[in-house]
Amino acid sequence: MHRLGQLESAIMERMWSYQGAAAVRDILEDIQRDREIAYMTVKTVMDTLNRKGLLVREQDGRAFRYRPTKTREQYAAAHMGEVLAGGSDRTATLLHFLEQIPADEVAQLRVVLDQAAQIKAQTQASE
Amino acid sequence: MSAPLLLLVYAVAAAAVAPLLSRGTWSDRSPRVGILVWQTLSATIIAGIVFAGVALAVPAMPFTSNLADFLRACVMTLQEQYSTPGGAIVTTAGALTAAAVAARTGFCLLAELLSAHRARRQQLQSLALLARRDSSGQFLVVEHADAAAYCLPGRRNEIVFTSAALGALDKDQQAAVLAHEMAHLRGRHHLILAAANAIHRAFPRVPAFRIARTELMRLVEMDADDRAAHSSSRLTVATAVVRLAEANPAPSAALGAGGASALARVRRLASPTVPLGVLRTALAVTAAAAMLVLPLTVAAAPAVSSAYAQTCPTGFPASA
Repeated sequence: MHRLGQLESAIMERMWSYQGAAAVRDILEDIQRDREIAYMTVKTVMDTLNRKGLLVREQDGRAFRYRPTKTREQYAAAHMGEVLAGGSDRTATLLHFLEQIPADEVAQLRVVLDQAAQIKAQTQASE
Repeated sequence: MSAPLLLLVYAVAAAAVAPLLSRGTWSDRSPRVGILVWQTLSATIIAGIVFAGVALAVPAMPFTSNLADFLRACVMTLQEQYSTPGGAIVTTAGALTAAAVAARTGFCLLAELLSAHRARRQQLQSLALLARRDSSGQFLVVEHADAAAYCLPGRRNEIVFTSAALGALDKDQQAAVLAHEMAHLRGRHHLILAAANAIHRAFPRVPAFRIARTELMRLVEMDADDRAAHSSSRLTVATAVVRLAEANPAPSAALGAGGASALARVRRLASPTVPLGVLRTALAVTAAAAMLVLPLTVAAAPAVSSAYAQTCPTGFPASA
């Protein structure tokens, strides 16, 4: 992950762990416990996250307060939904090890595999 | 007139061969040979049609090293062809066909690559927030209850496991899946599939392209399986397929399209391999090479032969 991605990830991680809204300064102080970072850097990234639709912000006096648009679980679910929805249209985007298979066909797979394993065990035993 | 007709017949014949080629298990035995044959078959059908159009539009002109002569010859032959209404129609139709087929193919290919690129960038962005890198540094892990393992090709090749997928597999099986995905990335399989998708989307009514796409989707998986089996064992790869399938069955039969392909993979991995013999491999590779060269040769033949025969178009000034 490149550096900007890391910072976005660090900020989202904190936003998700906050209950409710947070100001840039809250996040800044939190991150500053680990490392040195400028207010404007955090603010810029949080505005980027806002533009990307990951954070919403509302005016609170002179500053903004931010909150995640989705919980981490919702965000992960949406992402994995995209990944698993795949189907044949998405083959150029990502290549699955395996497409999802209906349960009765999975049972068929198991039969074939067990037979093969059995044959292998037998040949090894006879050797 | 014979070159365009020949090319058209050739393209139709090549398209007609596709259903026959998809029969049998020859390609499963040597997936890489299969990939080569199906790719060249698709390419040769398109090239046949495009060159047929070009051959209609551009009459045979003699090659000459003198550019002025060549241009004058061009103008004269074109003038001649356009002088009759029939000739003009044929020429225009040929040019339009060639341009339309080439443009449509190119456009669909570009659209396919762009949308895949965009989708991948989106994916990488989400992964930056959701995933952690495994301690080996080789793949990303996303906490999720559904078992899935996949690769995201591109400038940053990434392989992703969900936590459920890791839980369903032991270390050897994880390594087998990793090797399978690495084979996809190294083999640039996403480009093979992008091209097959694009051609199918460009000409959805041509059964040959639909068949080629289905075959290629299966064959890249089998190729990756073979390479994964090199570093582990065939039975380990097969076990990984079954374990992952069991960990995450499709919620409904309508959603699970991978059943037939997975069954073919497991059957294939479960039994000893019998790759195509030298003779059949040589035959397939020769056929592929012929399919690449043939359309261009037929299209260029009249021009080449006229250059040799020195039969210039009428009124070609001898003194020039």
